[in-house]
Amino acid sequence: MPEKPVAKPAFSFPWLAVVSVLLFGFMYLPILVLAFYSFNDSRYSTGWKGFTWKWYVAFLNDSRILTALANSLIVAFFAVGIAAVIGTLMAVGLSRYRFPGKRVYQGVAYLPLIIPDIAIAVATLVFLAAVAIPASGGLIQLSLGTIISAHVVFCLSYIAIVVSTRLTNLNPHLEEAALDLGATPSQALVQVLLPELTPAIISGCLLAFVLSLDDFLIASFTAGGGSSTLPMEIFSRIRTGVKPDINALSVILILSTGFLFALAEYLRYRGEQKRLGN
Amino acid sequence: MTNPSHPIANQPDSQVKPTWLQPLLMLAPAGVWLALLLVVPTLLIFELSLVPGIRPGQVVNPSGLDNYLRIVQPDYFPVLGRSLFFSIGTTLACLILGFPVAYWIALKVPHRWQNLVLLGFVLPLWTSSLLRSYAWITILRPTGVLNTILSKIGIPPLDILNRESAVLIGMTYSMLPYMVLILYAALEKLDRQLLEAASDLGATPPQAFWKVTVPQSLTGIAAGSLLVFITSMGDFVNPEILGGASSMTVARLIYNQFLGATQNWGFGSALSMVLILVVSIAIALLLKYGDRSAAGGV
Amino acid sequence: MIGLPAHFSRRSLTRRQILQTSAAIASGMVLSGCGWTLAEVRPALSKGNKDDLSIYTWESYIDPQLTETFHTQTGINITADIYDSNETMLATFQTGKGAIYSVIYPSDYKVAEMIEKKLLSQLDHSRISGLENLLPEFQNSVYDPGNQHSVPISWGTTGLIYNTDALNPGPEDWQDLWQMQQPLNRKMTLLADVREVMGATLKSLGHSYNSTNPTEIKQAYEKLVQLKPAVTTFTTDAWRDRLLAGDLLLSMAYSADAVRLIQENPDAKLRYVIPRSGTSLWSDTMVIPTTSPNPDAAYAWINFMMQPSVAADVTQRLFFATPNQAAYDQLPAPLRNNRSLFPSDEVIKACERIIPLDAKVTELYDQYWTKLTSG
Repeated sequence: MPEKPVAKPAFSFPWLAVVSVLLFGFMYLPILVLAFYSFNDSRYSTGWKGFTWKWYVAFLNDSRILTALANSLIVAFFAVGIAAVIGTLMAVGLSRYRFPGKRVYQGVAYLPLIIPDIAIAVATLVFLAAVAIPASGGLIQLSLGTIISAHVVFCLSYIAIVVSTRLTNLNPHLEEAALDLGATPSQALVQVLLPELTPAIISGCLLAFVLSLDDFLIASFTAGGGSSTLPMEIFSRIRTGVKPDINALSVILILSTGFLFALAEYLRYRGEQKRLGN
Repeated sequence: MTNPSHPIANQPDSQVKPTWLQPLLMLAPAGVWLALLLVVPTLLIFELSLVPGIRPGQVVNPSGLDNYLRIVQPDYFPVLGRSLFFSIGTTLACLILGFPVAYWIALKVPHRWQNLVLLGFVLPLWTSSLLRSYAWITILRPTGVLNTILSKIGIPPLDILNRESAVLIGMTYSMLPYMVLILYAALEKLDRQLLEAASDLGATPPQAFWKVTVPQSLTGIAAGSLLVFITSMGDFVNPEILGGASSMTVARLIYNQFLGATQNWGFGSALSMVLILVVSIAIALLLKYGDRSAAGGV
Repeated sequence: MIGLPAHFSRRSLTRRQILQTSAAIASGMVLSGCGWTLAEVRPALSKGNKDDLSIYTWESYIDPQLTETFHTQTGINITADIYDSNETMLATFQTGKGAIYSVIYPSDYKVAEMIEKKLLSQLDHSRISGLENLLPEFQNSVYDPGNQHSVPISWGTTGLIYNTDALNPGPEDWQDLWQMQQPLNRKMTLLADVREVMGATLKSLGHSYNSTNPTEIKQAYEKLVQLKPAVTTFTTDAWRDRLLAGDLLLSMAYSADAVRLIQENPDAKLRYVIPRSGTSLWSDTMVIPTTSPNPDAAYAWINFMMQPSVAADVTQRLFFATPNQAAYDQLPAPLRNNRSLFPSDEVIKACERIIPLDAKVTELYDQYWTKLTSG
C-alpha cells in the first residue's frame, strides 16, 4: 500500500516515480543478467571474465535446441491457425444465436482461462492415455499432434474472448444492411463482418501464439518421446545443469519477441493513422 | 474499409438453408473440440480421483474418497497450506508493488506516453517464463549476482535460493505485469474530478486516497488479485526451479504423481480436482464480494 | 490498447456463467461404468523410418560425438531423450510417451521390474556380438540371468562428492552426513531417487539397502527428516555447476557423474568417496522395449556400443566404468587404476545391488518419499 506522504500536495511526490522506476529495474534485471552472462567467457563465474561470442556459436550448433525451437514453432503455428478459425466462428456464433444450453457452452468455452494449466494438462494426459490412444488402437500417439490439439483448447478461448470483445463494440446494423441488400448470410459474414474483426483476430492470435510458445506444462504432459518443445528442452537443461548457451538463447528469444511485438504495434499504429486519415 | 455496395451483388437464387445449419457449422467445431479435450477429460480425472493408488496398466474401479481423505492428512496438508501461502503472499506483494506503478502510469505519465510506458513494463512477459525463472537462480544463488553486490558494499550474504523467499520473488516477478495491467485499466477510468473535489473539501492525500481512489478501483483490485491468486495456485515452474527440498506445492505434487518419481494417478487427479475447487471458491468469493461492492458503491 | 487489459478485464464478465457451468458439470457428473484398464503402452501403428533411432537414456551416456560416429558408421540418426531417475523413466514410458523409443537404459532393478511387466523384448543373441567380452558377473546377473533382455553398458557406485577445501576431514561414511550437518547446512544435495536416498539412510542405520521391514523403513524416514533442513534440494544432475561455483559443499552422486566432473575440472578441489559401510552397486543396461518401432537400428546401436574400441573411447571421454573386459584392457593405466571408477573387490564386497521390491513395499517407500519431500 502506498505510504502516506508527510507533506500535502496530493500524490505528486517523486516517490511514486521512484518506486515505479525501481520496479522497472526489477522487471528488467533478470533479462539484463541473462544478457550479461551470455557474453561472459566463463561457465561458472559470477564475475566478468572477458567478452566472448562462443555461447552464441554453441547455441547455433546445438541441434537439440534448434529442433525443440522448430517443434515449438510448428505447435504454435498450427494450434493458433486452427484456434483462429474455430474460435472466431464460435465467438460470432455465440454473439448471434440463442439456443438451449448456451450458457453452459459459453462457460465451458472460457473455462481454460480459469482452470490452472496443471489441471488441464493432467486431464488431457489422462484422456489421451486412457481413451484416445487405446480407442484408436495405437493410431493416435503422443506426439506434436497431441500437443497441438491440447494447445488449441486454450488458444481457442483467448482468441474467442478477444474477438467477442470486438463484436460487442461493433455496429450491428452493418451486417443487417448487407442482408437487407440481398447478401447471403455467408457473404455477409465473410465480406462484411470478417474485415471488421480482423484486427481483433490478429491480436488474439498474437496473444495465443506467445502463450503457446511459452507453455511448459500442457506440452510436457501431452508430448510424446522425441517431440520436446523449447520450454521442455529448457526445463530439462535447467534440471540437468545448464551451459551459458541457454543465456544466448534467451537473449535471442527476447530480441525476436521484442522485435515482433514492436512490429505488430507499429503496424497497428499505422493502421490506426490510416483510419483516422480517411 | 468495407465497401457495402460491392459484395452485396444480388443473388436471389441462393437457396434457403435450414435455420439450424449455420449455427451448427459455427458452433460445432469448437464445441466438439472443447467437449473432447476439456469436458470429457475433466470428468475422467474426477472418476480417476475416486480410485486409490492407481497406476497405468491397472483396472479402474472407483471405490470412494480415499484420495481426498489423504490430502487432508497431516502429511499432505502442509502442501496445500504452502500453496495457499505462496498464492496469497504473491497476490499481496503484487498488489503492494503494482498499485504505485499502475497509479503512476495512469495518473502521472502524460497521456500520449501511457501506452508506451505500460508496454515497456509488461514486455518481459513476452519472453520465456522458464528463462526468467532461471535468471533468478543466477541472481539469488549464494555466490550469485546479488551476494556479489552485497559483499562489495559490506553487507553479509543472503541465503535466499531454494527457500520460500526465492519462490515468492519469482512468482511476484512473473505475476506483477498482469496486476499492473489490470490496475491500470481500472485507474485509468478514475474520475479525477472526484479527487480534486476531495482535496478542495480539505481531505488530506491519504484520506482522498482511501476514500476516493481505492473504492473507485476496487473492481480492478479484486479482478487483479483473483487473476494473480489463480495463476499462482497453479504455478509449477517457480516452485520447481527456485524452491528447494521444502517447497512442495500442490502443482509440483500433481506433476510428480504423473511424470515424477511416485506414480499415483488417482491421488494426482484428486489433487487436481482440489485445485479446481480452490480456484472456483476464489471466483465465488469474488462474485459475492464484487456484488456487494457494486451494490454499496460510493 | 495492446489487447491484454481488455481481455483480462473481460474475464470478470464471464465469471458468473463460469460458476453456473461448473455447478452444472458437477451436478451432472455421473460415474460411468467401471472396470476399464488405465493406459497401457501400445506400439505405434506406423513403423518408424529405418534410419531413425530414438533412445531414452541418462544424461551422462550420450554426447554429440558418439551419435555422429554412429551416424557415419551406419547412416542412422539418433535422437536421445534424457531422464534423471528410473522411476521417472518408467512413468514417462508407461504414460504413452514410450512408443517411440527403441533403446532404453534402465538400471538393474528396473530391468527386472520391466521384464516382469512384459515391457522388454527377448534379445536375439545371434544378432549381438561381443557378449562374451563382458565380465563374468555381468554375463550372469541376478536381475537378468544370461542377458536375456538386457546388455549392461556401465556400472558404478553411489557415493558422495565434496569440496576438500571446505570439508577437511571429509565424510567417509553415510553417517557422517548427520554428524557434519552443521558445516553442511544448506550446502548439500541428495539424489532425487527414492531407493538411493532411502537405501543410503537404511545403510547408515546398519540395515540393508533393500530393507523390506516396515519398522526399519520408518526408522530411515525419521532419520531423513532430521537431515532434511540441511538439504538444499533433491537433484540428480543440477549439483554440478553449483558444486564447482562453491554454492554447494557436498552432493550425493553417482560415481560416473562425479568422476567425470573431477576429471574435467582438475583445478577444482573435489573428491569422490564411496561410503565405508557400503553403498549401492548399480549397473545400467541397454534394453529393447517390445514396442520398439525400429529393432534393427536398436541392435545396430547395441553392437556399436559393444565394440571394445567404442566402449573404451566412451569410458575415457564420458568416464563411466565399462563392464566390457576387452574395453577395460584398452584403457590407459591411470584410468584403469582410478579407484573411484573401478573400486577394489574389497570395497565392492560391502556394497549391495538395489533389488526390485514387491508392490506393497514399493508403495511404502513411495509414501515415505512423498511425505519427506512434501513436509
